[in-house]
Amino acid sequence: MTTLLQQIANGIALGATIGLIALGYTMVYGIIQLINFAHGEVFMVGAFGGLAVHRWLLPEAWQGDWYISLPLMIVGGVVVAVTIALIMERFAYRPLRNAPRLAPLITALGVSIVLQEAIRIWFPNAESAQAYPKAFIDAQVDLGPVSISASKLLIIVVSVALSVGLQLYVTKSRMGRAMRATAQDRDTARLMGVNPDRVIVLTFLIGAALAGVAGVLYGVDITNVDNAIGFQNGIFAFTAAVLGGIGSLRGAVIGAFIIGLIKTLGGQYMPGGTQYDYVWIFVVLIFVLVFRPQGLFGEAERVRA
Amino acid sequence: MSPLLEVGDLSVAYGAIEAVRDVTFSVDEGQIVSLIGANGAGKTTTLRTVSGLLRPRAGTVRFDGRDISGLPAHSILNLGIAHCPEGRRTFGRMTVEENLLLGAYTRDDEPGIQSDIRRVYELFPVLGQRKNQKAGLFSGGEQQMLAIGRAMMSRPRLLMLDEPSMGLSPIMTNLIFQTISELQSQGTTILLVEQNALAALALSDHGYVIDLGATTLDGPGKELLADERVRSAYLGED
Amino acid sequence: MTTTTATVRSRPRITLAPTLAKPLAAAGGVLAVIAALLPWTTFVLFDNDEVNPSLQYFDAPFALSGYRLHTMLLGLAVLVVAFVPRIPGRARAQRALGFGIAAIGLISLIFLSYNGGGVGTVTAADGDAAFGAVVALVAGVLVVLSAIAAGITDIPDFPTRLPRLAAYGALVLAFAAILFLVAETLTAGGRSGVSNPYAGPTFLAFLGMAGGVLGALSGVGVVRWISALSERHRAFSIIILVLCALSLPLTSAGNAYWMTVATTIGVYAATAIGLNVVVGLAGLLDLGYVAFMGVGAFVAANLSGAATSKLGIELPFPVAALIAAILAGIVGAIVGSPTLRVRGDYLAIVTLAFGEIFTRSAQNDIGGLTGGSNAIPRIPDVELGGTAFNEEIQVGGLELPGGVLYYFMIVLVVGAVMAVFANLKNSRAGRAWIAIREDEDAARAMGIRTGKAKIMAFLVGATLAGLAGAIFAHKLTIASFDSFKFLESVTLLAAVILGGMGTIPGAVLGASLLFVLPEKLREFDDYRLLLFGLALILIMRFRPQGLVPDRVRRAELAGETATGKSIDEEEALVVEQEHDGPTGKKGGTA
Repeated sequence: MTTLLQQIANGIALGATIGLIALGYTMVYGIIQLINFAHGEVFMVGAFGGLAVHRWLLPEAWQGDWYISLPLMIVGGVVVAVTIALIMERFAYRPLRNAPRLAPLITALGVSIVLQEAIRIWFPNAESAQAYPKAFIDAQVDLGPVSISASKLLIIVVSVALSVGLQLYVTKSRMGRAMRATAQDRDTARLMGVNPDRVIVLTFLIGAALAGVAGVLYGVDITNVDNAIGFQNGIFAFTAAVLGGIGSLRGAVIGAFIIGLIKTLGGQYMPGGTQYDYVWIFVVLIFVLVFRPQGLFGEAERVRA
Repeated sequence: MSPLLEVGDLSVAYGAIEAVRDVTFSVDEGQIVSLIGANGAGKTTTLRTVSGLLRPRAGTVRFDGRDISGLPAHSILNLGIAHCPEGRRTFGRMTVEENLLLGAYTRDDEPGIQSDIRRVYELFPVLGQRKNQKAGLFSGGEQQMLAIGRAMMSRPRLLMLDEPSMGLSPIMTNLIFQTISELQSQGTTILLVEQNALAALALSDHGYVIDLGATTLDGPGKELLADERVRSAYLGED
Repeated sequence: MTTTTATVRSRPRITLAPTLAKPLAAAGGVLAVIAALLPWTTFVLFDNDEVNPSLQYFDAPFALSGYRLHTMLLGLAVLVVAFVPRIPGRARAQRALGFGIAAIGLISLIFLSYNGGGVGTVTAADGDAAFGAVVALVAGVLVVLSAIAAGITDIPDFPTRLPRLAAYGALVLAFAAILFLVAETLTAGGRSGVSNPYAGPTFLAFLGMAGGVLGALSGVGVVRWISALSERHRAFSIIILVLCALSLPLTSAGNAYWMTVATTIGVYAATAIGLNVVVGLAGLLDLGYVAFMGVGAFVAANLSGAATSKLGIELPFPVAALIAAILAGIVGAIVGSPTLRVRGDYLAIVTLAFGEIFTRSAQNDIGGLTGGSNAIPRIPDVELGGTAFNEEIQVGGLELPGGVLYYFMIVLVVGAVMAVFANLKNSRAGRAWIAIREDEDAARAMGIRTGKAKIMAFLVGATLAGLAGAIFAHKLTIASFDSFKFLESVTLLAAVILGGMGTIPGAVLGASLLFVLPEKLREFDDYRLLLFGLALILIMRFRPQGLVPDRVRRAELAGETATGKSIDEEEALVVEQEHDGPTGKKGGTA
């Protein structure tokens, strides 16, 4: 029983990370119907951005104080992630805005490979996994029978807060309205005076910022990162977005928690153990796509029409 | 006085296919002008070009004396042209109020926006009663009201309406055309594209006939209504 | 989602007075010849120069061999093309030759200055002057400018109704030339490695030359004429093509190393043809395709008595390969079955998921069938009449290198596949696939049983991949999950796209390029994937229709339907028109 609760707690923490990435997938898909394969890599470069800040920018005196170092690392991760995302939007995707759908998808694969390789080649020593600073309270929090690390708790809190914030932004603000309008009918949105380019840039920007936050928090929690974390977590996040009904913000977050639970519980209780936990996620993905392609929340509030 | 909108020798193509090849017309301030013609004649393409959704291949579009051809749609809206597109295209997953707020997207005078929303609700009381419902649940006529109301939210000097009566019941059509006159009397210039040539010309100060992508005939609305060629071609009379 | 931005925004184009064409061409051609005669470096580049007989980065003047010879030949060709009267498609030919010369110059420039430690290497240093590469680059640019000044015209058409014998003769000559080119390309620069630092740049420079010549031939209409001829005499062409391919071991590429490289290319080419059916013809994007090859490889490994196989079954190769192909086909049909309900991007994700499940299962040695991270090693050689396929053999007086039998086998397989698939596009099944690709709902409305056709596409593609996988496992004598990962799927997809979707020569060409280049560019190994990723992005941006575009597909990718037309596509269309003359053919799909 304790094991089950413990694994549920772990699954929720994993889901919180995936959720932050999944929001970027779902928003971009909602606006331009692009599966931005490289979004997982944005998360990855975000993690490395935070690492770079800690390694080269933070004075040693501050490194021990998490309330100084962690926010600065997050800022660094977000800045790097957003910069990369905006560059790829401008130079890789925008020229293909009206091309057949295969073209941007393959471009996204290309961008993904380039980012992975760029980190491996040019980030010092990144051919192998890099130790990530424990830039947060190194403690276990006891919640009844379950004990969860402080850094996992932080991820859950931050993820839920940012998701709620994003949901409010998209439903209540003027730019949020413009985003939903662009997602539903780009031409008519243009007739309302919406500049779709700006909306798309904003979408990439928000998605990348969330992924950057997720990258740093993930690194702090797992305490080592390599250039492959983006691919794997990106696929999880994409699966979560599809599971929730791609285009739906709420769906992406709930889907992410489900994926997190499948992975930890599948690894615990299914045959094959953790070696196959990854497989169960894909099995679920296939079943969802085949039997409920609109996702679990396909009819709920969605960003796209 | 120069006309508010002046379109000269306009040509627009989709790839190799020329949808509009020689369209010339003008709209004076305060007028209702209609473009009539058969399906596929190029009327919608013309409006989409004026509003910046398409780029012209050749020709000029001048608004208030300024060349606007090739400007992006949002800049053109800011100059004072609103385009109420064919098929209404309301945002079905958003509420009436959100649709209207989107119409005012480029404005930031909050009190003015609120008073304009109230104006729209006065003009179309049904919208006010259902302002928190999703637009997708509305009937065609109600959506048309919403689309017109939304277009008015940018306080345009020129309102372009593309087939506002399409698919509507006769009663609803009447209501929409009444509204159009009312908007004119309040000072909005209107460019109307219609297949319902009879109703459109009856309302119009001036009309143009577009045929195969070119303006072929024009004159005051009443005169065109009386014109043999127009009657035989577009009003279903021999 | 229709974003409609019609009409052309004229690109900034260089325009030059036509009268400048001849002087520019003359200057460029002469400069190219001069460049070939000039020294190219100011110093001796590597110590082991004398060890390496293929040394081509001469520091001596007048030493004509290798790419310096190529530069001179291209320069002479420019002069011929420019001044012989009534050459059709002259400007196109010149443009291609110019790009070829410029490419050689640029590649050498970069390589030499990088290795020599600065521009001094390729200009003047220590009292020595060596402007060869710079002059070649300038010459190339001048020739390209001359082509622009002359104005690009349509590719000419030649009559293809020839007497049978004449046509056959032309085809034999053409294919022999291709064989020569392939052998030269394979061996250009020699085997890449530490002992041969010239391999990469020499190979690239050779590609520049070959590209220039092919482009020129294409410009004057020869390539189109030959392909029309071979289309007309398809059976004969395939026989000759196979015969030519079979004679590769007799050329300069006839040793065990190149046989292995060529066999690997063949395996991937066969797989790419299969993927081409799924993606190119039926339009079903498959991101886990290499898994089918993996299924074939593991099945063959387990059935052929590999030492670590748990099954302990040892079947003759043909039987094992057949079973591998069939099982892969069945798996393909299963993987394809979601297509009954899932479309487009979602389907791509389903196939990706299947691919990942396969990789992960193979990595964990599922059922003891894949060997996990130990792989299944020591798969026995294929034997025929007591001759192991990896041995050297003697036929009459001819000594053939080791591995030649695997090469023969894959050539026959690819030949057979090409023969079957050449007609596919025009067959009932092919038309059904294309209809589905274009518009699935319309296809269904026309009475095509779309579900069956889509599953068939997966089945056919997977069967081919399975067969290729079986050969692959035997040739390598090992089957490891490592060879069948997501990246391999992406590479295969890239091969199909680079070659030109929906065309079989395209798939073969794409597979060859993508699997030869890494072999040749070992010294850039660290950057291989990075460059590959960049290449994907650039291809999609600048030539989404591939190197050998399919006619219908080209219209689709280069200029879309009326409502989806964008400015960028307009540009693509303009470029296409330059390449292919009249626009009439392309309006068709609008």
